[in-house]
Amino acid sequence: MRSKKHHVFIISCILWLNAWLTTGTAGPVAPTSVQVIDDRQQVVSLAAPAERIISLAPHITELLFAVGAGDRIVGTVSFSDYPEAAADIPRIGSYKQLDMESILALQPDLVVAWSSGNVQTQVERLAQLGLPLYYNDPQDFEQLALALERLGTLAGRARQGQETAADFRQALQMLQDRYGSRPKVTVFYQIWDRPLMTLNDQHLISRAIEICGGHNLFGDLEAMVPRLDREVVLAADPEAILAGGMGEDSPHWIDEWRRWPALTATARDNLFFIPPSLLQRATPRILEGTRLVCEALETARSRRPEASE
Amino acid sequence: MSDSRLLQPAPAPLLTLMDLVVDIPGRTDGAPLNLQIRSGQCWGILGPNGAGKSTLLHTLAGLRPPRHGGIDLEGRSLQRLPRRRIARLLGIVFQDHQDGFPATVLETALIGRHPYLRPWEMESAQDHQAALKALRQVDLAGMETRLIATLSGGERQRLAIATALTQDPRIFLLDEPTNHLDLHHQVAVLDIVRRAVAQGRSAVLTLHDVNLAARYCDHLLLMYPGGEACWGTTREMLVPNALERLYGQALVTGEVEGVPVFFPRIR
Amino acid sequence: MNRLALVLLSLLGAACLSLGIAVALGSVPLTPAETLAVLTGGGESLHRTLILELRLPRALAAFATGGLLAVAGALMQVLLRNPLADPYVLGLSGGAAVGALLSMLAGLGMIMVSGAAFAGALLSTLIVFGLAHGTGSWTPTRLLLTGVVVAAGWGAVISFLLAVSPTTELPGMLYWLMGDLSHAHSPWPAWIVLVIVVLAALPLGRSLNVLARGPLQAAALGVAVRPLEWTLYGVAALVTATAVTMAGSVGFVGLIVPHMLRLVLGNDQRLILPASALAGGILLTLADTLARTLIAPQQLPVGVITAMLGVPVFLYLLYRSR
Repeated sequence: MRSKKHHVFIISCILWLNAWLTTGTAGPVAPTSVQVIDDRQQVVSLAAPAERIISLAPHITELLFAVGAGDRIVGTVSFSDYPEAAADIPRIGSYKQLDMESILALQPDLVVAWSSGNVQTQVERLAQLGLPLYYNDPQDFEQLALALERLGTLAGRARQGQETAADFRQALQMLQDRYGSRPKVTVFYQIWDRPLMTLNDQHLISRAIEICGGHNLFGDLEAMVPRLDREVVLAADPEAILAGGMGEDSPHWIDEWRRWPALTATARDNLFFIPPSLLQRATPRILEGTRLVCEALETARSRRPEASE
Repeated sequence: MSDSRLLQPAPAPLLTLMDLVVDIPGRTDGAPLNLQIRSGQCWGILGPNGAGKSTLLHTLAGLRPPRHGGIDLEGRSLQRLPRRRIARLLGIVFQDHQDGFPATVLETALIGRHPYLRPWEMESAQDHQAALKALRQVDLAGMETRLIATLSGGERQRLAIATALTQDPRIFLLDEPTNHLDLHHQVAVLDIVRRAVAQGRSAVLTLHDVNLAARYCDHLLLMYPGGEACWGTTREMLVPNALERLYGQALVTGEVEGVPVFFPRIR
Repeated sequence: MNRLALVLLSLLGAACLSLGIAVALGSVPLTPAETLAVLTGGGESLHRTLILELRLPRALAAFATGGLLAVAGALMQVLLRNPLADPYVLGLSGGAAVGALLSMLAGLGMIMVSGAAFAGALLSTLIVFGLAHGTGSWTPTRLLLTGVVVAAGWGAVISFLLAVSPTTELPGMLYWLMGDLSHAHSPWPAWIVLVIVVLAALPLGRSLNVLARGPLQAAALGVAVRPLEWTLYGVAALVTATAVTMAGSVGFVGLIVPHMLRLVLGNDQRLILPASALAGGILLTLADTLARTLIAPQQLPVGVITAMLGVPVFLYLLYRSR
């Protein structure tokens, strides 16, 4: 019974979509259709570049602004706080609990979802209601650059998307060239304090550390966000500890490590705070965060006993 | 109940115990019981605490299987009768009453009609009349809307008897029916039983008071702590020696209104 | 008889009203005229989508789920002769939650999650009743205790699953555990189960009344106690599993609705069971409407609302009834 109903639903969605496509192409400007592949390897095609976009994650809002499509966002989730202009966009719930009604009422022509952050059933419901979906979930820097290009294309800002992506790739390459082959610094990246949590190599931050010539000591762990015992960190004895945090001022996380002066990172004062918004969101701002990481690791190298000789 | 049955010289037994050994947990002794309870008879079960009086009543009601032997209800094996049919012939009043949820006095008496009603059927006016009559009999008239939680121990006991009266069975099994009751209500309840028996029902009751048993029961079953048992008419059974052995207590015997009375001998 | 009809009719009226409120209210304000236009077959297409595809199915799902939970609670309370019994106390929904979370962890689709929740509830039923039944004595205290311990065990498994699960699955899992109707797909399976169970329970109502007086008394009055108890537990498991499948773990409805009704209406199951279905439905429909609109566009899990509404009302009634 359910599947039959489902079919009826899909058919009506297709009909609805058809109707919508035809009215779209009949517009006065005769815009061209756009087509891209999303991070789920699904083809997303729109009859015309999207003009009413809903962003389902703070970093997606940032990406859209980065390609100059910020003015086309009609709704976004709470905590979309960058750039400042994002504060004026109407909210449609939080990334993990969407308000379907508000989304529908905004009559979007594109919804950009965050596959690993949004609740799958809620996003599926949006698809059922006939809204075109683009799934975004950058796992590495190249996917981030691709996302800039693709979102640019979908939002009718293809050129700006390509330019932003090119700039991004170039800046990253420069960091890689400058720091990538420097002597390795072993790093513990602390994403949370209680419980103590870090990130494995699947995460963008681990790549950033790698680009800066660092080595994430816990990159091989299976979970993407492993919880750790403090003694494991003490035993691993990282040369540098990088701490994120919830807000922009969490230096007490760093002070915690000063209780163990035998720790190399503590002994050499290689305890660095990197503002999480610059590193933990998959947006072009991660370049800035990566730059901070590179500088921190360079400082760590300068504090080696052999360096001062 | 038909008149022809009453006119028969020896009424057919309502309840037949055949080699019945009651299954008391933790005990392996027990003499087999072979007796017949006929309509118009009132049996008293006497015995010390722990002799298995309540267990016997529960077994007679088919609520627990016997260790050995069998019970026939109106000539049919109790084990094989459906519960609903048993409930129309046999009613039991327990010593303890479980009241998990609040309920009124009238509701509690009315559940006695359960065995007669079909699944969808609501209680009729007649059923209400039967329940009200039973409440009047046990002196609870006017308390129909009281919650059972507010009743005294004696009132609750009388309500349980009213429920059994509403059930209107052929055989009453009463486990300590005089528990919690003042002297007046003890007599009143036993008078109700006597009237029912006079109308051709039968009753089996456990009692602690030998003298009440002597006044109201025509047959007695003595259950000894060692598992032995003997039974017969009240006149045969009320022998001071037997009672002294039954309770392990020396007795003083007398006679009032032609009935023997017994008191514990106090040194 | 008249009282029964009167109570049920007024609850039915309240049920329609609650569904009406649920359809009329949402984070997008619609005028009553616009709502009415849609319900009479007209209206703008956006309004039609909002009401017919979002609000109405969800309100219906909320109603059926609430009804199921309340009926499950009412049945279990009679079964255990304990007003504290509830599918949650007895570990049924814990088992369902573990089943659902495991299949979420395995990345299975929503239909598999539903199936796993169902299997978890039934497994929990078997464990609780099997263990409590063990040596033959099947007292309510023993059952309740077994249920509480099994529920605590499920709670530990849930915590374990949450601790080891990838962060990406966490939001969905947490919202599922808090009870959330945005997952509900089609309300009809729950409605079918609800209607069948209530209709089937009505002829059993008087037997349940007798069972509430204890198994011995019930047997003495002609109730086949053991079969009836197994039927009750099976039905309660089915009903709970259906409800949990619809909305995750919504607490308090099964505990509070039958209890409140008993305080007001007495303890005749022939009245309490259908009344529980209706009142539970009303409660959850209104609670879900609040969850959707209270701090819109932010959405609250409905379990939070039922607890916040249920606890004070329950305490007040309990206080007054003394």
